[in-house]
Amino acid sequence: MVTFQHPASLNALERYQQARSMLRHSTRAANPAWYQAALDLDLQLHIRVDGPSVASCFFERRKEQWTKGPVITEAELRDAANMETCAAEILRQARLFNASALGVIIHLADEFATSELKPALDNPAALPDLREAAVQKPATILDDSSIPPDQNSWRVLPYPAQGSGVIGTTITLTRKYAPFLTTLRQTGEAHNFPIITHALSAPLVAVMGLAQYAPLVPGKAAVAILQYPWFSVLAFFNEHADLLLIRTLQHRHLRQAPNLRHALTTTYASLELIDPDLFILSLGLDLDSGLHRDLCQAFPLSRVSIVAVPTPDGVPTCCPEPVIAATAPPKGEAARSLTFGILRDEKWALQDFLSTPKEISEVYPTRAEMQLLRGLRLARFGLCVLGVLILAWFALGIVDIVRSAAWTFVPSQVEVIKGRLNNLTTERQKSLHWDNLLEDRSKAWTSMELLSHLFPERCGILVKSFAHSVRADSAPGQAKIGFVKEWKITGLARDEALDRLNTLNTQEGITSQFHELARATGNPAFNPAVRTRSLAVNIRTQENNTFKSLPVEETFDTDESSYPFNFDLTITQRFEGTDPMAINVSKVN
Amino acid sequence: MNLYRQSIALFGIVLPVLVCALLIAVCFTLKSRALASLENKQTLFKSYETNRLKVLEIETKILLQRPHIKHWTELLAEESSSAVNTHLRAIAETLPGKEFQKTAFERSTGKGGFGSAVAQPSSQLRIVFRGTFRTMQRAFLELESRMPQLQLQELRIDPNPNQQNPSPLLNFQVNYTAWEN
Repeated sequence: MVTFQHPASLNALERYQQARSMLRHSTRAANPAWYQAALDLDLQLHIRVDGPSVASCFFERRKEQWTKGPVITEAELRDAANMETCAAEILRQARLFNASALGVIIHLADEFATSELKPALDNPAALPDLREAAVQKPATILDDSSIPPDQNSWRVLPYPAQGSGVIGTTITLTRKYAPFLTTLRQTGEAHNFPIITHALSAPLVAVMGLAQYAPLVPGKAAVAILQYPWFSVLAFFNEHADLLLIRTLQHRHLRQAPNLRHALTTTYASLELIDPDLFILSLGLDLDSGLHRDLCQAFPLSRVSIVAVPTPDGVPTCCPEPVIAATAPPKGEAARSLTFGILRDEKWALQDFLSTPKEISEVYPTRAEMQLLRGLRLARFGLCVLGVLILAWFALGIVDIVRSAAWTFVPSQVEVIKGRLNNLTTERQKSLHWDNLLEDRSKAWTSMELLSHLFPERCGILVKSFAHSVRADSAPGQAKIGFVKEWKITGLARDEALDRLNTLNTQEGITSQFHELARATGNPAFNPAVRTRSLAVNIRTQENNTFKSLPVEETFDTDESSYPFNFDLTITQRFEGTDPMAINVSKVN
Repeated sequence: MNLYRQSIALFGIVLPVLVCALLIAVCFTLKSRALASLENKQTLFKSYETNRLKVLEIETKILLQRPHIKHWTELLAEESSSAVNTHLRAIAETLPGKEFQKTAFERSTGKGGFGSAVAQPSSQLRIVFRGTFRTMQRAFLELESRMPQLQLQELRIDPNPNQQNPSPLLNFQVNYTAWEN
């Protein structure tokens, strides 16, 4: 079995680890019974100890069914050597009910004592604080400080009736059964089976049950005499059925309290009660059956009744306290008076006299903490999933990035390729520049071929001079400039050549000649089809003053006097700055 | 009571949330850095790719022109006037001597013709020939083919002025702009 330590002795991390260990190794998070009261559990084991005998019975709350419990002896309750065996047997029997938890309620009917509260605390409004103080610091509220607190347990009982003189008293019980209850709880811890314990004062439960079973008459004071084997408890009620006083009379090895009549008489006087009804509850075996008769004789003006509490099968007749404690009365009966109302509703009669010590209960996380831990387990799983998703997203993103062609790219290559591009661009510019400058835009041999095309041999033309010039356009600020080519031809013509001259003098005629020349020489400069070029021609013909008309057979080609006409021909070809053959102005490096 | 609450809150809630938040922060930071790095690399890579394609494109174009450029560079490395004379001598050897005669050669380094409008260095060459039409045309064709840097500025063809003794030889005067490197 894992031993847990008090969290106050652990650091924060150890505390968290211990809580998680409890979450893993116990059902505290899943089984709410660990944090419920024993009387709220579905399966309850009621043990009643009245001194001579020990009775036990199981109560199945859902079915409201009572069954006989295990046989338990006084020795098993008190002797440490037998406690574990007894606890194991109780657990075994509880599991036969297929229960998930067991509430063990021990009804202490073998002792009952009262201790007075300090008179200074006589304030009804302070009852909740007194109730708490009775558990935690009893010495602060008790008038008698000589009783050792480690061997006894005190619980406050209020006196709601007006005129009682004090606000209440404390009920004192010894802690002799505390080890047994501790053993039961530890057994439950060891077997991961919630065993919740509760120690009740049987007389208080019986007083609470008077609301259901005693024929209280409104307007009439009453006294309940609870007969137990070793003592009797006297509970005094006013005419409103509110508790005025509770006191106990020890039997001192007799079958009844020897001073009962005297005690009743003196208490009547002190409480100013006149002939109250007397109710006798016999709560044990072999009790004095003559008490009713004696009281009738002693108090002839009082109505003396024996109260019988019906018990179901499985519960001994003389042990009604388990039934009273475990089953709620029909609505209205408990509220017969303020006393009976608060005894059940505020659980004054159901106080746990042997509650789990605070230092032990604090070892375990509270229910809210366990639920928080359990919820955090889901949240942690969610966080893990989130973390995995984030990592996956990150990993996939990185893989995607790494797989990109650009990722493996070496940035220094940019400069390398840029340098190479610059070199190539420079080379290309140089190439284009020289390509431009070296264009066949103006060649001597093609101009001579032009002359041959214009005037073929024996066409009746004698060329006297040929002049060709080229001049560049001046266009400041332009990247390219155009140029003008001019041909000037003078000569003599015979009659048969006039038609040719006339044809050349037309745009179509000269264009046709240039077109043919471009085709024949392969020189694109003569191509007239380019739109950025223009072509102009002008032929002037005059009579030859030296002409002499001679027979054809007497003439020869170089005889200028045999030509009746002079002519001069001017051809102008203009290339614009946007022409493919325009010249680059800039210089290349 | 509730002695465990603080520990549970600390180790069960705060710490896992902090760890998770730290994990998220680390992942986001690393991924952001990786993305920023990738973005930077992508920019560089795109620039590289664009330049690489341009290089390929220019290289394809230049590859065919390189032999010409080399040839031109060699041509331009030689002084134009001496190159012209060298070529004319070589051309003259292939032509009938009577039909091709160089009678004058003049070189001017001053700017003129195309050279006056262009920043590229150039020189002016004036050459005078005497020869027949076709032979001279062949000579010009050969010379201008060998020296593409020669740009004709002026050409004059005149017959022999002696009327009493007509000759098939013509007078040719050419002015060239020769591009210099």
